[in-house]
Amino acid sequence: MRPTLLIVDDHAGFRSLARRLFSSGGFDVIGEAADGHSAVTAARRLRPDVVLLDIQLPDIDGFEVLTRLRDRSAGPAVVLTSTRDRTDYGERVDRSGAHGFIPKAELSGAAVLGVIGSGPMR
Amino acid sequence: MSRRLRTPLALAALAAGMVNLALIVQADDARPRSLVYLLIAIIGVSWSFVAAGLVAWSQRPDNRTGALMVAVGLAFALNGLRLVGTPLGFALWFLVAMLPAAALAHLIAVFPDGHPTTRLQRVFIVVNYTATVPLALVQLLLVAPAQLDCGSCPDGLLGIGGRRPYGEAVLAVSGLIEVALAVLLLWILVTRWRRASRLRRRSLAPVALVGIMLLVVYMFRQTLVVVVSRPAPFHVGFDLAILGLLMLWPLGFLAGLARTRLDRSAVGDLAIELGEALPPGRLEQVLARALHDPTVQLAYWLPDRQVFVDAEGRPVDLPAAGGDRAVTILHHDGDPVAALVHDAALGDEPEIVQAVAATGRLTIQNQRLQAEVRAQLEEVRASRARIVEFGDAERRRVERNLHDGAQQRLVNLSLALGIARSQVPTTSDGELTEALDEAAAELRLALAELRELARGIHPVILSEAGLGPALASLAERSPIPVTLAVASSDRLPARVEETAYYVASEALANAAKHAHASAVTITARRRGDGLVVEIGDDGVGGADPDGSGLRGLADRVAALDGHLQVSSPAGEGTCVIAELPCRS
Repeated sequence: MRPTLLIVDDHAGFRSLARRLFSSGGFDVIGEAADGHSAVTAARRLRPDVVLLDIQLPDIDGFEVLTRLRDRSAGPAVVLTSTRDRTDYGERVDRSGAHGFIPKAELSGAAVLGVIGSGPMR
Repeated sequence: MSRRLRTPLALAALAAGMVNLALIVQADDARPRSLVYLLIAIIGVSWSFVAAGLVAWSQRPDNRTGALMVAVGLAFALNGLRLVGTPLGFALWFLVAMLPAAALAHLIAVFPDGHPTTRLQRVFIVVNYTATVPLALVQLLLVAPAQLDCGSCPDGLLGIGGRRPYGEAVLAVSGLIEVALAVLLLWILVTRWRRASRLRRRSLAPVALVGIMLLVVYMFRQTLVVVVSRPAPFHVGFDLAILGLLMLWPLGFLAGLARTRLDRSAVGDLAIELGEALPPGRLEQVLARALHDPTVQLAYWLPDRQVFVDAEGRPVDLPAAGGDRAVTILHHDGDPVAALVHDAALGDEPEIVQAVAATGRLTIQNQRLQAEVRAQLEEVRASRARIVEFGDAERRRVERNLHDGAQQRLVNLSLALGIARSQVPTTSDGELTEALDEAAAELRLALAELRELARGIHPVILSEAGLGPALASLAERSPIPVTLAVASSDRLPARVEETAYYVASEALANAAKHAHASAVTITARRRGDGLVVEIGDDGVGGADPDGSGLRGLADRVAALDGHLQVSSPAGEGTCVIAELPCRS
């Protein structure tokens, strides 16, 4: 069975491309969210296996969304992503409890599967 | 004039006292011994007032208090007339008998100014003296000795035209006038005390103290008269106590006067202190001491900006009229120079405030100019900081725009290419796949370059994670090995973190580009309120601190009131130290 995926990003163009990329890359994309609050709501409602979470969001940032998702046990696997580099966020990515970080330009179904396969960081 | 008067007056008082003594000694005496004691005590009061008055006069020739005290003393000496055994002598004494009390009331009413300052005081003084000789003359003419309750009064001159009904009316009116005068005087004194500044109360206090003691003894004696008997028990003792206090009183006046004099001498001290160069703010303290008002503030007028500023050049809002604080504007040639903000109670000491202001005028003008320069410097400093902050804000905006715009579009393009690549049938020829892979590789390079450019414009990690991680990221990307030691993980004000980062970044770039260094050390540590960032390399040295890069850094650091130090002896590496205050 294909893992279910929620895409969180404030750029509609990116979401639609990502949906196509991951649909053909082994995922069942079950929802999209354009900001942090609706991401939390959607994740609780849809219970996806994986959340692809952009760090830069218009309301609360990706790290905060992650904290809220982790308040519930058995949360989804979260993969952080950004136009920026991982190094631009220092140790925040490592400390966030996400399964991994993939720069947007390097996203692919295989990359995400690789990251969640290796389990959460730390 | 007054100086030449003093010696004769002193001699007159001495002579009058001696005459009084002689009269007491030669008086045939069926008189009670106690009256003799009282008369001797009155001589003491007279001399006490004259002596203290002469001292006050010589110390404060501009103040009539001294002269008034001498007058009171001399008036007391007139009491001896009572001992002249003739009716004429008695009549003369009767005429002037109220003069000592009137002179004393005059002195009290106008102390410590020495002259009336209100209409009420003037009215009081006129009525006060009318109630002495003129009233006594009327009494002398219309009242019979028997009506005066005056057993030892000689017959003869008294009541020459007198008939009892007039006499009683005159006595009733006289009594009313005396009560009215007493009430008026009390009113003047209470009003004056209530309106008095701390300064003025200091000088009123010794006089008030003795006055209150006198009042207490007098009231006690009168109570005994009413409750026990007339005359009161120990009435001679009471009288002597009252006269003793009266003898003390001149010292009270002298002390009160000396206390205002103290303040004038403070003005003198002020003149001396102002002779020395004062650091900013010190003038305020000196003025506060001279005015006995620790809350004194000095604000300088800047005509160009039409504002008052403090010694550091920061704008000051003057308090509105009517509150606890009052403002005295100091002028020079009709233009405002400064404003003295002080306790509103000082408002009734305008002459002291003006004297202080006049003494300090030159210094105040001087300090005003300094304050003006400081205000301009402060303005320049603030505008420089604003320029740097504006520049930083612009950098953040541009980085954000790149991130949301061009970078985002290139990322989308990269994803689209990935989708296209994944949809190329595996059976198709290799050229399309190759072209798509090449495009993707080019795109990755473009994105990397764009990221580097954006990072150079504004390192996001600085605002995201703080100085430590930002320096760590800088060190990671450096082509030269960097040893990094960041002592504190506290977040600092953004402008401090940004400046520290740019200093490190620029120094690191110089080490790589110009110094050909093989190792760099970056340390950041807190010192007191500030942050010290130090970047040392083992390169060729010889960096020019006035070169555009380092000069720009120095300006940036200075905009934060910090200090940049560059040491770069040829062949011995380069060390750049930035000290940045973190206070806002």
